[in-house]
Amino acid sequence: MKLRTTKYIIKEGFINTYRNVLMSLASMGVVSASLIILGFFLVITTNIEHNTRFLKEQPEMQVFCNPSLDEHQVGMLQWNISRDERIEEFEKVDKTAAFEKAKKMLGDDSEILEGLDESIMPVSYIIKLKNSKDYEDIVEKYRNYPGVDSVQYSKKAIDFVNKILRVLQIGSSALIIILSAIAVFIISNTIKLTVFARRKEINIMKYIGATDWFIRWPFIVEGIIIGLVGAVVSFMIIYLVYRIGGGSIGNDMAMLELVSMGDMSFQLISTFCMLGAFVGALGSVISIQKYLRV
Amino acid sequence: MVEYRSVTKKYPNGTLALSNINLTINKGEFAFFVGPSGSGKSTLLKLILKEEDPTEGEVFVNGYELSSMTRKDIPLLRRSLGVVFQDFRLLPNKTVYENVEFAMQITEALPKEIRRQVPMSLALVGLSKKAKAYPNQLSGGEQQRVALARALVNNPSLLIADEPTGNLDPETSWEIMKLLAEVNYRGTTVIVATHEKSIVDAMKKRVIAIDKGVIIRDQEKGQYEDEVKNHQIYY
Repeated sequence: MKLRTTKYIIKEGFINTYRNVLMSLASMGVVSASLIILGFFLVITTNIEHNTRFLKEQPEMQVFCNPSLDEHQVGMLQWNISRDERIEEFEKVDKTAAFEKAKKMLGDDSEILEGLDESIMPVSYIIKLKNSKDYEDIVEKYRNYPGVDSVQYSKKAIDFVNKILRVLQIGSSALIIILSAIAVFIISNTIKLTVFARRKEINIMKYIGATDWFIRWPFIVEGIIIGLVGAVVSFMIIYLVYRIGGGSIGNDMAMLELVSMGDMSFQLISTFCMLGAFVGALGSVISIQKYLRV
Repeated sequence: MVEYRSVTKKYPNGTLALSNINLTINKGEFAFFVGPSGSGKSTLLKLILKEEDPTEGEVFVNGYELSSMTRKDIPLLRRSLGVVFQDFRLLPNKTVYENVEFAMQITEALPKEIRRQVPMSLALVGLSKKAKAYPNQLSGGEQQRVALARALVNNPSLLIADEPTGNLDPETSWEIMKLLAEVNYRGTTVIVATHEKSIVDAMKKRVIAIDKGVIIRDQEKGQYEDEVKNHQIYY
């Protein structure tokens, strides 16, 4: 397609949108509303994922020895673990590794470890079970084992979080489909009005030899404009609400770390724009098809 | 230029519009299709534009057999033809100049060429001064001249006019016909469907009379009605 044709098409698309300004605004509103609902889900999902990511990094079971245990005592424990048939495999985390990990986790605050050495850290064993049903027995057994300080079992929590995330993801996928279908329907109706008002023109254009695409493109541009404006409006609304509302939630629940809007905004705006443009273009193509058969 | 070979057209509602038409219109000719409403003359024109496909037989335009042409190629066919309709069919929100220009825009013509061709075409129909007017500011005759300028701007080898004077008073009708004759004089093949007796009789061009889907007469320098038939009426 030549540049001047592209220019013509874009200009016509804008003129079309403007001619039907009320219906265009209504369609933009529908697109925005759909995207806001969708964005709400996306923001929640992102935040849950963010706040639970530390869980995923944790081993499913870890047995911590008392730091004062000597090598012989630790060896006894290891012997015991290695003989337990319910355990598929285990991994020893020695004092040095534990100290490194602690430093890393503390990050900037690692100066509090200054003057201390690895002897304060416990030796621990990361354990993988053959069958997670046995976890209660095993936790019980090692918790009572002499010299063991604690046993952490986090698989259940991980599973739970994963389940919630999966539900949310399925939910947002279903929402994308349903809301897109609604938006396509509304946009195609709006554009049908433009098409109907201009059916004579389309007919004339066909008679003097315009190709289908030459006629179709301006309407597609109109649909894309509607979709994109809807996307930008909904993004701004979500952005503001999250800024204002998110801040107060963050203050009330100190343990929650909210994902900053800056980190999410690119993902949100790109998803919105792509969805909006796609839905708008599809709506136009559907509505004009009938009038091209001349 | 245009050839119909054993063309039969039956519409889905059962109307037999054309039955076994064999007709050739040569390059450079000026031909009238005459006949009452519903005789099939408009269908003959629609076949040339591939607005309709024949039920049987073949139609050739500029050497192309139309039924083997794909939908995608129809725009190319129509660009090689100029078409004028009874109801002018101008774009109401474009000026005279833009209406004519538009026919070139869709062919993605060079702007340089557009700037040369559009004024030329408007000058040919005598509307250079009205280039900035909108169609609703023009008389019927002027609007039809704009339509004619649009039809001619791409230098078609064939011009088709479907009742071009149907909405015009006799005097303006004559202007349009004179223009068509001039276009033909410059080498364009012209086909006009009409039922304006006085014009057909005065122009002394080829007349193809159609009635009930059959060619009943094909005469060089013909008249609207058969002279013999006239005698029968008068005596």
